[in-house]
Amino acid sequence: MSSMNVWGKQSLRLLKHELKRGELTIIFLALVLAVATVFSLSGFSHQIKAAIISKSSTFIAADRVLQSPRPIAETIFNKSNELGLRSALKLEMGSMVFANDTLQLAELEAVGDAYPLKGELLISDQQGNITSQKAPAVGEVWAEQKLLNVLGVEIGDTIEVGLAELKVAGVATQIPDASFSVFTSGPVVLMNVADMTKTELIQPGSRLTYKVLFAGTPEQIDDFADWIKPQVNETMRWYGIQSSRSALSSSLTRAEQYLSLASMLGIVLAAVAVAVASRRYGQRHQPMVAVFKAMGASQNHITKLYCLHWGLLSALSITFGLAIGYGLQQVGLNAMKGYLEVEVTVSMWRPLLIAIATGLLCSIAFAIAPLMQLVSVKPLAVIRGFKHQTFHWLQLVPAIVALYLLLYLFSQNALMSMALLAGGIVVSIILLVLGQMLVNFGRSAGSKSGKALHLAFANLKRRAKENSVQLVSFTIAIKLLLLIVVVRTDLINEWQAQLPKDTANRFLVNISQPQVDLVNQFMAEQQIPGSGLYPVVRGRLTAINEDSVVKQVTKEDDPDAQQQRRGVGRELNLTWRNELPPSNVLIDGQWFSPSDERPQVSIEQGVAERLDVKIGDTLTFQLGSEEFSAEVTSVREVDWQSLQPNFFMIFNQYVLQDFPATYISSHYVAPEQEQAFNRFLADYPTISMIDVGALINQLRTVIDQVSIAVEFILVMVVIAGSLVLVAQVQASMEEREREIAILRTLGAKGSLLRNSVLLEFVCLGVVAGLMAGIAMEAAVYVIQTQVFEMSPSLHLSYWVVGIAAGAGFVGIVGMLSCWRLLNMSSVTLIRRTM
Amino acid sequence: MTLENHILDLLSDINLAVGAGETLAIVGASGSGKTTLLSLLAGLDLPSSGRIELMGNALHNMDEEARSAVRAKHVGFIFQQFLLVNSLTALENVMLPAELANLPNAEQRAKALLAQVDLADRVNHFPSQMSGGEQQRVAIARAFITQPEILFADEPTGNLDSKTGLHITELLFDLNKQNGTTLILVTHDEKLANRCHRKVIVDSGRIVEDKYTDQSVSLTNEDLSVLDKDTKRTVNE
Repeated sequence: MSSMNVWGKQSLRLLKHELKRGELTIIFLALVLAVATVFSLSGFSHQIKAAIISKSSTFIAADRVLQSPRPIAETIFNKSNELGLRSALKLEMGSMVFANDTLQLAELEAVGDAYPLKGELLISDQQGNITSQKAPAVGEVWAEQKLLNVLGVEIGDTIEVGLAELKVAGVATQIPDASFSVFTSGPVVLMNVADMTKTELIQPGSRLTYKVLFAGTPEQIDDFADWIKPQVNETMRWYGIQSSRSALSSSLTRAEQYLSLASMLGIVLAAVAVAVASRRYGQRHQPMVAVFKAMGASQNHITKLYCLHWGLLSALSITFGLAIGYGLQQVGLNAMKGYLEVEVTVSMWRPLLIAIATGLLCSIAFAIAPLMQLVSVKPLAVIRGFKHQTFHWLQLVPAIVALYLLLYLFSQNALMSMALLAGGIVVSIILLVLGQMLVNFGRSAGSKSGKALHLAFANLKRRAKENSVQLVSFTIAIKLLLLIVVVRTDLINEWQAQLPKDTANRFLVNISQPQVDLVNQFMAEQQIPGSGLYPVVRGRLTAINEDSVVKQVTKEDDPDAQQQRRGVGRELNLTWRNELPPSNVLIDGQWFSPSDERPQVSIEQGVAERLDVKIGDTLTFQLGSEEFSAEVTSVREVDWQSLQPNFFMIFNQYVLQDFPATYISSHYVAPEQEQAFNRFLADYPTISMIDVGALINQLRTVIDQVSIAVEFILVMVVIAGSLVLVAQVQASMEEREREIAILRTLGAKGSLLRNSVLLEFVCLGVVAGLMAGIAMEAAVYVIQTQVFEMSPSLHLSYWVVGIAAGAGFVGIVGMLSCWRLLNMSSVTLIRRTM
Repeated sequence: MTLENHILDLLSDINLAVGAGETLAIVGASGSGKTTLLSLLAGLDLPSSGRIELMGNALHNMDEEARSAVRAKHVGFIFQQFLLVNSLTALENVMLPAELANLPNAEQRAKALLAQVDLADRVNHFPSQMSGGEQQRVAIARAFITQPEILFADEPTGNLDSKTGLHITELLFDLNKQNGTTLILVTHDEKLANRCHRKVIVDSGRIVEDKYTDQSVSLTNEDLSVLDKDTKRTVNE
């Protein structure tokens, strides 16, 4: 027998027996879980994200859009073709259309034949049949019904667009990337881009927006994005559904952040489980190594034996982890199929590689210190007995580096990983110190209490060092679980709050002064809730204090612009109002006092920052030929995602009330009120109505789907957290066994032992739960304010949940793990521990 | 040994030579240093000064690895706590030293030895499934599988009741006789000590008595002459 065969054989023999005897279960499960968590979460969230984004992409009719005020260079099309992307050109401009001696301002959208790349363009024909279509044919247009109403034309009639005469071939009932702005210039007219030259609308100085829509696989998109981003200048925009400034995009961004945060915490938990379990593995194998060495096994022999043993165990765990992770992913995706069309096939290579790397990193970095200690156990230990493994802070270095690598690998965000890690380390140190103090305090409290409690506290105290380590991992596990639950609840609540049942689904624009009372009266009669009517006056900001501002958005290298203050660069919709609108929060200054007749204005926070305007500054506006000034008396934060009329500038009534204004309002029209609502509007054709109901429904579906994904990940994280607890309790099992044997021999009753063990775990759980509550609160604060940009809130009820869950869970897991020991006869116990 | 800045002489002024085939009992009160002496003799530990030779190998000059090699080649062990590998069966435990020493037919040898210690039907049992006496029998079989020239036993009956202890003692001395092994054991047990040819009493780290027991009478002159100077193990201060 060669010596290589010997260590290999012994290693395999050990592995086989230990696996069978369940001695490696915890470490095996910990590694399996780490790999399975990462694989399923990254794969699942990857898939879900792709599916959601793909579905939401219908909102922009593409995966990405390039927007520019100037024609798009040919090279861009060439490159996108080369990469295999689909693309479609789209020109947008406001223009008058003409028919039957009537003029109407319309939103002209000239599209290429491939339009839309995502989503459905629904067109109704003369018979009212609705079909999904691509771009209109050359010489034809599709228009929104209200344009037909205003112009008094029907399908088949001709309208004039610029110098071209185009036939109305259908009514557009759903335009995937319809602009969601209450201030759009008018009803949409869709035409073929090939007809654009005939219209002769493209003149020097005409205000056109050029868009190119792109669609392709995520890889193609990423490649293209890398290429195009450096070429996007200030006047251009490159955006996807996530970067478009919509309520949906912010929900999606948060969901995505939540998914990666939860996954990262899941990974941390699984890694902690591996670390705890591998420490136990090292401890448990000490006698074996000492015996081997006493029998004459060389260091080299032992090292090879354990490298193989650990290597095979890791390989086996990683394989199982991948299989289970894949299964979970499929289960998750199947469960979501009803809600989400998972039609996108995303490459699974990245999640797979990340999962394998996670397994390797965990098995190497978290186990290297215990393994190195293990193989260096002295043979003298067979005589002198086995010490607990000494613990040195330096041993944490590979684990910390690995944790960072894991976080980075998963998030691809160096800063966030660093912040999470540093936060974690600081919290752990604080917890460690706190834990030790609490355990010490418990000792003095315990000495005054009953027998079982006394014993429990004595145990806690005696193992103070291990207990504070245990406490830290319990605390971290509970904290992360609480964190995930709390953030999830807040997130889902906020999403739902964003779209309450009575969210406005109709906007009325262009209501004239004489119609105000009629509208109000109708809404009151029908009990249709609404935002109230806001007057709108269009004006231009011309000066801040004495300084005139730039009229147009200009490039930075424009020499004139350098001397002038920044302006808004376009006409603003101005309003006046005596009360602060509901979704606005005053963050500086005072709201108008009704008795104060000085001209005053309240400015939106973002604009105030951009224009560098402070309370007390004077803003000058021009309305037509008239100029007026008002003092800034307050700054407001505006929730732009609320489906209500929102304004940058709100004046007190004395400034604007004499200017001619139109009014806008938003309403929630219930399905049964719709008929009456539409009949009322038919009498007032000049009032424009914008229906955002479809958009809201779509938004709701997406939010529901994201919420389900969030719940799924919560379950995974809970499993990871539970395993940490089990591994940690298991880690102290050998020593408990010895203690119980001794106490039994000394005549301690079974009930006393059971109660003391239960109390010990419950105490640990309570303390861990309490500390977890505090730590969670701090973490939630940081996450809410820094990551999700939500307003922070207290979650005291979750502290109670943390304490109860800690006591219950740690108590139950601890008792279950010790149950076998507690019910063993003294003889068996003594035999086992000798 | 250094303990909190106090240098503690666990052993001093030890001068001991053990001949091949001899059976030596080291006795003494708890803390007298007898176990330390055993670990030094077996090359598990190193003296702070002095010389130890085992089978002609200067253990005091050797590192851990070299001493391991010497142990693998010449030494067997029996421990008070048996120290079987819990995850290996009785058979695999016994095979272990033979494998480490690269001996052929480890399995057959192990089976034969287990039969000799009356455990033929327990070969595939794990230590946790055995009584203390059975475990120690496995340990004895394990100790003899390499037919070591020298066997060290640390309180071999210390964890057993007196009846089982007696049985183990018989087994140990029987096998020892069959194999002609030199046996050095540490014990509290007077009866066990008296089974050895020679008894060394250690007190406060010194050998206070070194005498031949009545057992030595049974040694013939021929036996004694086998004691080869070269194979003596000495610990000198």
